[in-house]
Amino acid sequence: MASYLNLNSQIITEKDGFFQLNKDKEALADYLAEVNSKTLKFDNINDKVAYLIANNFYEDFYRTYSSQQIQKAYDILKAADFQFASFMSASKFYRDYALKTDDKATYLESYEDRLLAVALHLANGNEELLYNLCSILIKQYYQPATPTFLNSGKKRRGELVSCFLLEMDDSLNSITFNISTAMYLSKIGGGVALNLSKLRARGESIKEVQNVSKGVLPVLKLLEDSFNYADQMGQRKGAGAGYLNIFHADIEDFLDTKKINADEKSRIQSLALGITVPSKFFELARDNAPFYVFYPHSVYKAFGMHLDDMNMAEMYDKLVAHSDVRKKKLDARELLGTIAKTQFESGYPYLIYIDTANKNHALKNIGKIKMSNLCTEIFQLQNTSEINDYHEADKIGEDVSCVLGSLNIVNVMEGKEIAKAVKIATESLSMVSDLSQIKNAPSIEVANNNYHSIGLGAMNLHGYLTKNLIPYESEEAKDFANTFFMIMNFYSIQASMEIARSRGKSFKNFESSDYATGSYFDKYLAEDFSPKTAKVQSLFEGIHIPNAADWAELKDLVAENGMYNAYRLAIAPTQSISYLQNSTPSVLPIVDAIETRTYANSTTYYPMPFLDKSNFFLYKSAYNMDNFKVIDLISVIQRHVDQGISTILYTTNQASTRDLAKLYIYAHAQGLKSLYYTRTKNLTIEECLSCSI
Amino acid sequence: MFNLRKNNTHKEAVNWNNIKDNFTTLFWNQNIRQFWIDEEIPLSDDKLTWITLSDAEKDTYIKVLAGLTLLDTEQGSTGMPQIALHTENLHSKAILSFMGMMEHMHAKSYSSIFSTLCNSKEIEEIFEWVKNHDALQEKLAVITSYYNNINDNKSLYMAMVASVFLESFLFYSGFFYPLYLAGQGKLVASGEIINLIIRDESIHGVYVGILAQELFVKLSAEEQAQIHQETALLLKNLYDIEVSYASGLYTKIGLFEDVKTFIAYNADKALMNLGLEPHFNIDASEVNASVLRGLDTKTKNHDFFSTKGNGYIKTTNVDKLSDDDFNF
Repeated sequence: MASYLNLNSQIITEKDGFFQLNKDKEALADYLAEVNSKTLKFDNINDKVAYLIANNFYEDFYRTYSSQQIQKAYDILKAADFQFASFMSASKFYRDYALKTDDKATYLESYEDRLLAVALHLANGNEELLYNLCSILIKQYYQPATPTFLNSGKKRRGELVSCFLLEMDDSLNSITFNISTAMYLSKIGGGVALNLSKLRARGESIKEVQNVSKGVLPVLKLLEDSFNYADQMGQRKGAGAGYLNIFHADIEDFLDTKKINADEKSRIQSLALGITVPSKFFELARDNAPFYVFYPHSVYKAFGMHLDDMNMAEMYDKLVAHSDVRKKKLDARELLGTIAKTQFESGYPYLIYIDTANKNHALKNIGKIKMSNLCTEIFQLQNTSEINDYHEADKIGEDVSCVLGSLNIVNVMEGKEIAKAVKIATESLSMVSDLSQIKNAPSIEVANNNYHSIGLGAMNLHGYLTKNLIPYESEEAKDFANTFFMIMNFYSIQASMEIARSRGKSFKNFESSDYATGSYFDKYLAEDFSPKTAKVQSLFEGIHIPNAADWAELKDLVAENGMYNAYRLAIAPTQSISYLQNSTPSVLPIVDAIETRTYANSTTYYPMPFLDKSNFFLYKSAYNMDNFKVIDLISVIQRHVDQGISTILYTTNQASTRDLAKLYIYAHAQGLKSLYYTRTKNLTIEECLSCSI
Repeated sequence: MFNLRKNNTHKEAVNWNNIKDNFTTLFWNQNIRQFWIDEEIPLSDDKLTWITLSDAEKDTYIKVLAGLTLLDTEQGSTGMPQIALHTENLHSKAILSFMGMMEHMHAKSYSSIFSTLCNSKEIEEIFEWVKNHDALQEKLAVITSYYNNINDNKSLYMAMVASVFLESFLFYSGFFYPLYLAGQGKLVASGEIINLIIRDESIHGVYVGILAQELFVKLSAEEQAQIHQETALLLKNLYDIEVSYASGLYTKIGLFEDVKTFIAYNADKALMNLGLEPHFNIDASEVNASVLRGLDTKTKNHDFFSTKGNGYIKTTNVDKLSDDDFNF
């Protein structure tokens, strides 16, 4: 066994009353020495780039850049004197991201080399963007999501886009077409979510023959196997999610697929499940009123409209009253309990507060949001495709793709360069969207060309707060988040406006959006989002905080010039990339001060950034936090994010189904758009005995 | 009528509303919560790393699992049922039976791993190997002799000792290799199954250990002295068998010394479960670090899309919503 793994695992053996964090530094040094001994060396960067191009590893950068430009970009990277902060960061990078020879025996890239390839690819010949990107990447202000970071610049590569959303129509043509599209998208590296809410339920009619439809479950099974097969050449597993509307008659079957003792024929092992929950459901639960689920095909026949496309606040009573609509009576509160039970057993389903997402949708006059993605932070409009028989043309609608990246809050705050980081990040994400041509997924291509959607997020919030001795559950944490994410939103809109201005091109139907009408800006003109507490005020010293006058000016500029990106911000649950950045994940609390990580390819111990004896108590585990306060903080951030935030709940086995269900209700009331999965900690018997005695 | 009740015996029904100690409910709930079945874990991902192992490594891997299958089979078929049968407390019987049932789940889950990684011929061969392996069969014969000879409190106590030795000590020479590989990112899905099994075995050992300690205080001083001696002899006997068994499996892949330390380390754990002093005094720092971390049954953090994790539970805490829950 490698010495560095041993050293790394010695971290958690305490000595003199604290973890042996120095062991991690030793592990890092050992590891880098081993990497160095297995790295192919060159005299200068242009020799290296030329070699990698000649040997079919890199795309031909010399078609777009001169060797002087490449040298200058590399000099910017080298000047920063970057050092990995932990064994986890370095091992994550070299194992999963660095380019290696085809037999995987020799490393061909250092961290700087990978950043160079990313910047060369994403700048696409734009010299200014190239140098700016090098600068924000090496300072770790900005981190592209894994598909972009891993693939950029490589000759043989997958796609740069992180995730895709597809909608199925209620026809065999549409089902098979979407499964085929999903497999293709999984192969090129994306997580794929599919909305199955339009499919007819089990026992509905097909061509007027009663009780023959098999419902949603067999389609879920097909999807699960499809993703299993179509992975990314073994580099990453295929991952997908299925969504169902809570008013769909198959909802109970759908939830049962994740039970521990589910029948083998209906068990769903690895496909993620999510449910879309209209606000009407919570109203019925609150009033303890009769809760009906409906058979979608009978709804469509009676109303000429899909159940899933209906505004349930308006239509629920009509559906209940209509005699031709087949329905089944359930208990809303009991179903909340079932959802909680299923979450205890499996972590699933995700909850999507679909009406909240549509109410706060800047493109609400253009289209409707139907679902979310594999990680529940993407919220964009969709139009269902109509897939016809072989000799007929299809009517291709609009589905969703999203390119993602994240700011590192600690580094942009300390470098006092939020504005620059957001601007360059937005430009580079837009470039990924421009460069992406997803073949074999026409509805994705159409939407990408129309909307240029991107998703800029953030990570290291808990790390930043801890470093500045602010508890995650405090008022000051909310105060900080409120100002920080307002600033991020401001510069994101500004950057998107500037791209539109320089290209003379906005997203499709911009003029009908809330940005164009100006209503999006109302709250920023009316409210003051500058920090209220002295502590947080001091953190923002030296950083300009956009005020109402700045917002008014931006509003006018947007009305005049338009915006390039229909969707801009989304906070993804950063995993691998936060290890690279030695940061805490996204905006969520940490799990352990020293995390034990079982990843598909290793077990590693990862001390949280800046951890020492003095701040140890502030690294409170998410399992011990008040989930209501976590939701409060997320809801503050959500006001400044046009899409959504992946929000994970953490509970222990001591929580009841009711405790969990109350959180679903509370998150809905607080204006969250979604809840991602729930992690449950099963306390061990020693932990239980210690609290019972 | 009612001829069968010849001796005027009164059978009691188990009353879960009348529990006299503070740990029975705890163990019952813990067992229910951590109930799992092998089909939950998608194993097929291990196929790709399996082909990267050397023949010697593959051979050791399936043999340690086959050995474990035998031990689990016996513990589920004889050990737990016999101890349950001879234990008076009705609640304890229930918990022991549940634990016995899980032993069968463990045995079955090894077969799931086999069917993922091996073909039918290899599987048949490995079960033949189990039947004919001297040290393995001897180990089992020693343990089973205690299970099949319970006739008083003293022999019941010794059967419990045998059970704790089996679950907290003898299993671990087998667990070593899957933990070792999973620590290096190999056969991680199978490692997840092993982790769930260890999560079970650790509470089984603690629970039977507590029952044994309760029983111990009821014995006479003379019996207690005899028992101490017998326990020490049993430990020595089993340790010798175990070392010989491990040497046959692990020498060829260069891990024997590490496993030997690990065996002694777990023997001490078993003694402590019985409330006895450790014998080998192996410090945790002497044990292979990544294997030691693998033993940790605390909920681990994991990448949601690559593994299921050991945190998910069958909840025993179901509570209804009320009107107040909708007002904040």
